[in-house]
Amino acid sequence: MAQPRVFCLVLLTVALGAQALTPSHHLSLSDVDRLKGLLSQPFTDLASAYYSIVGLSKLGASVADENDACQFLKAQLDPMSVDSLFFAAEASQAIADCEVSIFNETRDILLAAVSEDSTVTQIFRAVSALSSLGLPLASQEVVAALVARIAKEDNVLAITTALQTATRLSQQAELGGILEEIEDLAARLDDLGGVYLQFEEGLEATALFVTAAYTLSDHADTEPPLKEDQVIQLVNSVFSKKSWDSRSEAFSVACAAAALSSNRFHVPVIVSTQGPATVSHSQPILHLLVTDILSNPLASANLLVESAQAVASKSVVLSQAPFSLRNGIFELNFMASQPASGYYQFTVAVTGDSRLVANQVELKVKVSTEVAVTNMDLSVVDKDQSIGTKTSRVDYPFKAKGSFTADSHQNFAMNFQLVDANTGVELTPHQTFVRFHNQKTGQEVVFVAEPDSKNLYKFELDTAERKSEFDSMSGTYVLHLIVGDATLENPILWNVADVVLKFLDEEAPAAIQSKTLYMPKPDIQHLFREPEKKPPTVVSNTFTALVLSPFLLLLILWFKLGANISNFSLSPSSVLFHVGHACMLGLMYVYWTHLNMFQTLKYLAIIGSLTFLAGNRMLAQKAVKRYGQSSTLTFFTRSTCEN
Amino acid sequence: LECTMDAFLCLTSAYFPKWRRGHQTYKRTLVLLDNLNIRDTHSIFFRSLADRGFDLSFKTADDPSLSLIKYGQFLYDHLIIFSPSVEDFGGNINVETITSFIDGGGNVLVAAGSDIGDPLRELGSECGIEFDEEKTAVIDHHHYDVSDPGEHTLIVADPENLLKAPTIVGNPSDKPILFKGVGMVADPDNPLVLDILTGSSTSYSYFPDRPISQYPHAVGKNTLLIAGLQARNNARVVFSGSLYFFSDAFFNSAVQKATPGSQRYAQTGNMELAEALSQWVFKEAGVLRVGAVTHHPVGESTPPAAYTITDLVEYSVVIEKLSKGSWVPFDGKDIQLEFVRIDPFVRTYLKKNGDKYSVQFKLPDVYGVFQFKVDYNRLGYTHLYSSTQVSVRPLQHTQYDRFIPSAFPYYASVFSMMGGLFVFSIVFLHMKEKEKSD
Repeated sequence: MAQPRVFCLVLLTVALGAQALTPSHHLSLSDVDRLKGLLSQPFTDLASAYYSIVGLSKLGASVADENDACQFLKAQLDPMSVDSLFFAAEASQAIADCEVSIFNETRDILLAAVSEDSTVTQIFRAVSALSSLGLPLASQEVVAALVARIAKEDNVLAITTALQTATRLSQQAELGGILEEIEDLAARLDDLGGVYLQFEEGLEATALFVTAAYTLSDHADTEPPLKEDQVIQLVNSVFSKKSWDSRSEAFSVACAAAALSSNRFHVPVIVSTQGPATVSHSQPILHLLVTDILSNPLASANLLVESAQAVASKSVVLSQAPFSLRNGIFELNFMASQPASGYYQFTVAVTGDSRLVANQVELKVKVSTEVAVTNMDLSVVDKDQSIGTKTSRVDYPFKAKGSFTADSHQNFAMNFQLVDANTGVELTPHQTFVRFHNQKTGQEVVFVAEPDSKNLYKFELDTAERKSEFDSMSGTYVLHLIVGDATLENPILWNVADVVLKFLDEEAPAAIQSKTLYMPKPDIQHLFREPEKKPPTVVSNTFTALVLSPFLLLLILWFKLGANISNFSLSPSSVLFHVGHACMLGLMYVYWTHLNMFQTLKYLAIIGSLTFLAGNRMLAQKAVKRYGQSSTLTFFTRSTCEN
Repeated sequence: LECTMDAFLCLTSAYFPKWRRGHQTYKRTLVLLDNLNIRDTHSIFFRSLADRGFDLSFKTADDPSLSLIKYGQFLYDHLIIFSPSVEDFGGNINVETITSFIDGGGNVLVAAGSDIGDPLRELGSECGIEFDEEKTAVIDHHHYDVSDPGEHTLIVADPENLLKAPTIVGNPSDKPILFKGVGMVADPDNPLVLDILTGSSTSYSYFPDRPISQYPHAVGKNTLLIAGLQARNNARVVFSGSLYFFSDAFFNSAVQKATPGSQRYAQTGNMELAEALSQWVFKEAGVLRVGAVTHHPVGESTPPAAYTITDLVEYSVVIEKLSKGSWVPFDGKDIQLEFVRIDPFVRTYLKKNGDKYSVQFKLPDVYGVFQFKVDYNRLGYTHLYSSTQVSVRPLQHTQYDRFIPSAFPYYASVFSMMGGLFVFSIVFLHMKEKEKSD
């Protein structure tokens, strides 16, 4: 009998789970603080003062110095401007004992603004100022003016403003027409993926619409025409932005939060766990917080677990169990129902207030435990099994003494078991990795260890087969066992042993291109050609001397033979000839050191022709002289004979 | 007509680059989103871009009016894809147009997530990055955040796992980085992929809710959380496995590893990293250019028509980098100059000398047509390349060595012969013979 009932319940919760949409965004306490911080920034004009003072009051806070703020409002007030009157009047309402002084004409100015010729914003500001200042106004006229204006200004912002105006009017006025606008506006909202619902005008428009819709519904005491899903989608889109661009945006979010947390129809509930959604043997109690949008605890609520079922096995562990409330936190000792480790799907119902929206909440709760590694055996096995294996047992968290060596004919093997430290049950965690880390190269190779049917882990490394994964790099590898699972409180990273792997054909490690791509390249110095080796200078000097020696020999022999130049006559032609001759020889030297051939030929032509002429002349003189001398010679010869 | 056409073409080509160089036009950015709400949940990141002058156009990724290229011109300079789950881009955008956008020099920032769709996986493989399957997540049971919702997928990444390149990841800080999303691995055959942020040794990528039945796609340090790529045309692409990485929530969140005794940081390093990454990927950082190149023999100021072998030559080049929108002198210590004739003959470091980099070196004793080449390719910087062609000729015949000691015998013999001739000619011509004594 009980079986089908449980089954029905499971079906029911599954069906609910498929439908239930829960708010995925709200203002956490730190978000509220940041929002307050943004609104508490010093204000410079009436508009920012209004946003700050009213926004903070919506969040249940107030400005730092109310007197100062009140003085600021009074000083900045321009009694002739509707806007200025609106900002000052509204802000002063939010401050205790702050009254803005008004003149007699003020009412006339404000009433004049309430007409079909003013914009909706003007009407709103005038009406708000009037009602804040406690001045009488004719509600029905305002309604008429609003209806006429809405027909002209058919945009989201104008209609939202009209809704806000209506909240300031007497409940006796005919607000029905304006109330209908809420539904029309709701139809204009864009649905983004079924999660968000917003106006394309932006966050501010959406937030102000939410504010106006709920304030007006409260005022008129009619339920707003928004479905539960729509409310949640609106919550998601208004509160998903956590960093606000401007004071007015922050103000609109604060107003929407205030409207959604205190109205008479819909109050979205946020159910969150305090800390992680985890229970364990050491921490058996599940703590839940039930709050409104502003993270204020909902004291009147009751919390009930409709069902809790294991995600893996779909078996129901707990049903219809109430939470107990202690210090604003709902508590449930889930470990009392002795769940196995894993995930549990909780369906939690919040009751106690008919206004609550999203009061069916699905939670994923984790039951975590601690793991222990037992029976860790390491061995090096010969492939042909000729040598008996030596197994060594290692205890967590110690490292094996000595290192293991495996070459290409051997397998390295590792056997171990993982058990629940609390119950002794065997576990198969998500991550059971064996990591080899080469500390020299930084290379790491990771293998997955898989359990057999008895949940005994056996890891075997075939050194020859796996060499490509190690890039055939022999060396010492540090062996780690990594065990982890989301349901384990103590993930294990255990340095089990050092393993020396030896691969046969060790290849030089290929340079990894990406490493060198961005590195400076090695310097290149150009290797200049070596000058040819020369013989020692002693040899050349010796030969120089030898080469010069014939000339010397000539001079010596001539000296001995009595060579002379007694016939030299200092005639210009012979001097010129010899100087010219010397110059020609000298020119050869200059040619060698300085000149090129054409220059040389030019100089040679000049010197040569001079020398030629001088030589000719000299030889002619010589010939004449010789001729004369030869007759004298005969005479001489004869006379000597005679002597 | 032809003349006017030519003139028109000249005018446009002269006018166009100037117009393109206008500051604003380089910052047109298309942002593709899964839904427009992402603009609100990631507002800090987008605001920082807008504050830096980027002109952001937000569109949903399936908007039918999307287009990147119109009449052969790119409509945007940068593309941000923050739409992990997109199954089909709208309009005329698809993986092919995005790849041709990158080929055309466009920069792309992609953020994925565990709900990654096929187009992003395809785009990844085009760029040498393999995403893991849909619904997988990077899991790390040893380094997850205290606020992890239960599956240990909210990962605290150590800043030590960041790429050591300040131009890409910003100045080093000790703030951990929060990450939640899909893992990637780099294609080992693509040397251009940069491992910007990797997982720790204990991380892996798999389905969090299924037992491991096959080897995970990415394991340990191979798991890429953020990867980058600078293509050969200097176009830059960054892939983040996590869209949450850029979110306001992660920017402002406190971070603490769940391991007992871990340090708590009041803020994550996400904001700084995201800003640095966006500066790099959108070419605000790490952009270099070559200025004036001069070369001349030492002691002269102008280059000759041709250098002679073994000349002592001075080469200098101005290198500038882009910093906050203006060009400032670049400060690098490892810029190398090559003197190349097919293969480099000389490779030497350039020294910073005022605003210029210069070096003096002796030309090799080989003649031919050479190039002074600066080819500076460093991590995080655009590829800098400059080459200047010069010719080097052999020695003229007058430039060879004279007065070689070994040749002194030859010189001596020549001069002794000339001396002999001179003396002999005098003696021969002017000798007075002794009278015969008989």
